[in-house]
Amino acid sequence: MSCQCFIIPTNVLERFAKDKTLSQEQRKCFADAAQFEKHWRQVRTAHGKLSAAAGAILPSGIQVAAPPAVTVADCNHGTTLPGTPVPASTADATAKRTFVETRAVADFYQNVFGRNSVDNAGKTLMSSIHFSVKYNNAFWNGTQMTYGDGDGNIFIDFTKANDVIGHELTHGVTQFSAQLAYANEAGGLNESISDVFGSMFRQWRANQNVTQADWLIGKEIMGPGAVAKGYTCLRDMANPAAKHCLAPQPTNYSQYKNGMDPHYSSGIPNFAFYKAAKAIGGKSWEKAGKIWYAALTDFAPRPNMKMKAFANRTRTLAKTMFPGDPSVFAAVNSAWIAVGR
Amino acid sequence: MDLLVVERIGGLAGFGGPGAHVRSRGQVAIARLSEADRRAVEELFRTRGDSRPSAVRDGFSYRISRTTSAGSETIEVPESMVPASLVGCVKDELI
Repeated sequence: MSCQCFIIPTNVLERFAKDKTLSQEQRKCFADAAQFEKHWRQVRTAHGKLSAAAGAILPSGIQVAAPPAVTVADCNHGTTLPGTPVPASTADATAKRTFVETRAVADFYQNVFGRNSVDNAGKTLMSSIHFSVKYNNAFWNGTQMTYGDGDGNIFIDFTKANDVIGHELTHGVTQFSAQLAYANEAGGLNESISDVFGSMFRQWRANQNVTQADWLIGKEIMGPGAVAKGYTCLRDMANPAAKHCLAPQPTNYSQYKNGMDPHYSSGIPNFAFYKAAKAIGGKSWEKAGKIWYAALTDFAPRPNMKMKAFANRTRTLAKTMFPGDPSVFAAVNSAWIAVGR
Repeated sequence: MDLLVVERIGGLAGFGGPGAHVRSRGQVAIARLSEADRRAVEELFRTRGDSRPSAVRDGFSYRISRTTSAGSETIEVPESMVPASLVGCVKDELI
């Protein structure tokens, strides 16, 4: 029996390790996996501390690690992660796309924000494809990205939307920076950060300015059944409540309640980013994106941050990062006021 | 016959959210589950899943409800803890 149990929580591994209905070999395997999981977490924590120390001590521009390696594994429609390694020379279109777009996300973070991988220390970017059967989802599990093929009706292959790949990788960036929780206001911010940087990455790839961009999330994964019903995207940052969204969102903080799904409440900060970037003009990653990135990464982790606190960070950063251009602060301030923050 | 009513929620697309046009539901008779799956479900209801924070983002959760002679109860648990027979009973649909 192979043990590739990284997605299973430690407590579940430990429970299986004591389950007398399993064979001794299986119990040992789960016990070993649980033990390895503890060591791996220690290494990851140390890696993050090293990255933070390097950022604080070393002169800017010096990298402590090479650009990230990109790996892809094939789940072959199973649910065991990571799956079978895929060579870069593969003929599988999903795998090829995953290699190309994941490298492009790494380039985007490096070239635009000077960040080396999700942890800013060159962490390998690992993706698994063909997860489960007709699986209508993509997710980040704390270690890697995973993509389903879609059912062919509501959704198609989740790697077909490069903003989805940017979205999932950005969950890694958030995990290694602000460490936002996944509930209440912090959860909405967490999801919004992934939509914001996913959308920005898509615009960067297409070299679009804020007017040329369509600001849609997940446009390229919508299946024929969804499109036939008029749903052209998961979410629309320019119009979060629009009827063409598969999952319309609130547009103002007055609609917010604790306990909302983060994919719903994220509409509020998504709309603020869109409004700020649109008012500033040009390309979203040049000014608005740099402000949002600094608000995410230039502070100590704050897992339970509220939307107002994040808004105020961006207000302060708009002034300090662009002191000669008061229109940037005005745009950011007006955007947050418009969404009630 | 005691039933488990299962709803898959969340994920990147926000299945089952307020105003969402996509949802995933199903049901399965407890008597049709294997002994191992019945035990796993009992354990889920006993522990109510695991409330410890998870590093998974955009993962699905499952809202599982059961009505027995003792009354009705509902739990929400991450996909990784749900037996395959329950995962397989839901069907994604546009609404």
